[in-house]
Amino acid sequence: MREQLAEVWRVFRRQRAAAGGFLALAVIVVASPSIVVLSRIDPEAISADVLGRPSLAHAMGTDYLGRDILGRVLHGVNTSLLVGASVAAIALAIGLVLGTTAGFYRGSIDHVIMRAADGLLIVPTFFLVLAVAFIFGGRLTFVIVMLGLTTWPQIARIVRAEVLALKEEAFVQSARALGAGDARLMFREILPNTLPPVVAMIALLGSSAILAEASLSFLGVGDPNVVSLGQMLTSGLEYVTNAWWVPGFPGAAIFVLVLLLNVLGDGLNVALNPRLRRGGV
Amino acid sequence: MTGVAWYVAGRLLQSAVLLAFVVTIGFFVIRAAPGDPVLYLYGAQNISAETLAALRQVWGLDRPLGEQYWVYVTNLASGNLGYSQINREVVSAMLARKVPNTLLLMAPSILLAAAGGVVLGTTACRRLNTATDYVIGAVSMVGYSTPPFWLAILLIVLFASTLGWLPTQGMATLGAPYRGLAHALDVIRHMVLPVTVLTWWYLAAFTRLTRASMLEESRKPYLMTARMKGLSEARVFYGHALRNASRPVLTVLGLYLGTMLAGAVMTEVVFAWPGMGLLTFSAIVQRDYPVVLAVFIVSGAAVVVTNLVIDLLYAVLDPRIRYA
Repeated sequence: MREQLAEVWRVFRRQRAAAGGFLALAVIVVASPSIVVLSRIDPEAISADVLGRPSLAHAMGTDYLGRDILGRVLHGVNTSLLVGASVAAIALAIGLVLGTTAGFYRGSIDHVIMRAADGLLIVPTFFLVLAVAFIFGGRLTFVIVMLGLTTWPQIARIVRAEVLALKEEAFVQSARALGAGDARLMFREILPNTLPPVVAMIALLGSSAILAEASLSFLGVGDPNVVSLGQMLTSGLEYVTNAWWVPGFPGAAIFVLVLLLNVLGDGLNVALNPRLRRGGV
Repeated sequence: MTGVAWYVAGRLLQSAVLLAFVVTIGFFVIRAAPGDPVLYLYGAQNISAETLAALRQVWGLDRPLGEQYWVYVTNLASGNLGYSQINREVVSAMLARKVPNTLLLMAPSILLAAAGGVVLGTTACRRLNTATDYVIGAVSMVGYSTPPFWLAILLIVLFASTLGWLPTQGMATLGAPYRGLAHALDVIRHMVLPVTVLTWWYLAAFTRLTRASMLEESRKPYLMTARMKGLSEARVFYGHALRNASRPVLTVLGLYLGTMLAGAVMTEVVFAWPGMGLLTFSAIVQRDYPVVLAVFIVSGAAVVVTNLVIDLLYAVLDPRIRYA
């Protein structure tokens, strides 16, 4: 296992883009929340300096209420990171359990779980989340849970396919011969080995969750009590011609987060999937 | 029955179950909405409790939920999508007006992107690990990660507000007396920016998919066989590898065409394009539930039917799937 991890790290590191994306993301994940907490930035603090250009005092300028855009972007980035991580965690938890169960037991349980997964992959889930968030109010926790509940099928499908292959492997059979119960076989023996292809998927789920939350806030159904990049983008839209920095920086922040996560996901995919490593034609 | 017939029957049944799933989820999510639809429409006006109760009775809102569901399903089966009290119009008529507009926006974008993406993805794989490959890879990664609404705003600022070349809102110039060709040109001018935004994303998706799929094929042993037969590299590459690599691309093309009706909410809202996306958005904001439910069901049904058609086509074209 150790050697495998070392090998994965070696391949991953050789892909400069992915390694760079990982580093940049790590810096953002550590820095953005710490800056907000340590310097106690108040995202709602207004000033007389309305629609001020980016300057030394306000690196990203100020908005229509004179609020510091950099401070608000940092808050928004934290919200996005929270959304990405929580949605991926929920989807991962549900996807792992249901995918393992479906692949391990097969039969009617498998059928029910996978048909539900197919159903969720087919219904326009963004519509569903948009409608439900509007009807019931788009509190952030609610949006996160909704996004998590609609994205687990992608994980479940991969996990199930892995479990089907792993179930017949010698190490699982020998654990069974030693008297291991179903739960032990599923969650101690099989599940850890399904993780490699899932890891890359987590990054991609995180990026699509961030984009989905930004889209919801952009359409005005986000949480009004949370600073959100999508919501900053919409409210700054009317100043776009005379103060481009008001909607410009929040939009750029969404783009950068999504891009870094996608680059990371691509890199992990190559590092963890041996078939993609060698050269082509 | 033969294998094909069983397969087709099974897939038809599966699609029917999925459709029922879509209708049921949609119906109960909408009915779970807090608040009384009658009060929402007339609560602000000075109407007596008896009148409100009478309205509830006329609309069937006083009946048990199960019965309401049954009425909705039977109406749906006869093509009746309901009536919008807010817009005072039959829902199917509203959809019929918007669907062509959305198709006008989406179909060219997706087809253009598919053609371009196959060319770019194949080129990248042909020149694997060269500068060409890296540039195509980097650009498609950026394209794939650009939030469509942000790109839309950037384009509006550049081409409409600053340069003043293109219109940014709607589908035609309001109040313009254009007819015939002039009208068509006017619509095309309005299409340029939204189609660019949509194509940008879809192009990146198709490029990435084609490259990955070609890479996967290019490792298979049959290519070596083809080479040993003495075929030219171009023949091996375009005649054999691309042919097999095009299957996942066609699947995704079908999927995107299937999700067309639901796919453009953000772009349509930013550009005020009068299609299904904008209709959905305004219906949600107005709490026009019959319209929300109808859009959900129609776009879900489009995806189910497209999936079915793709699978059946494959079963006909590829015997490996039929008997698996």
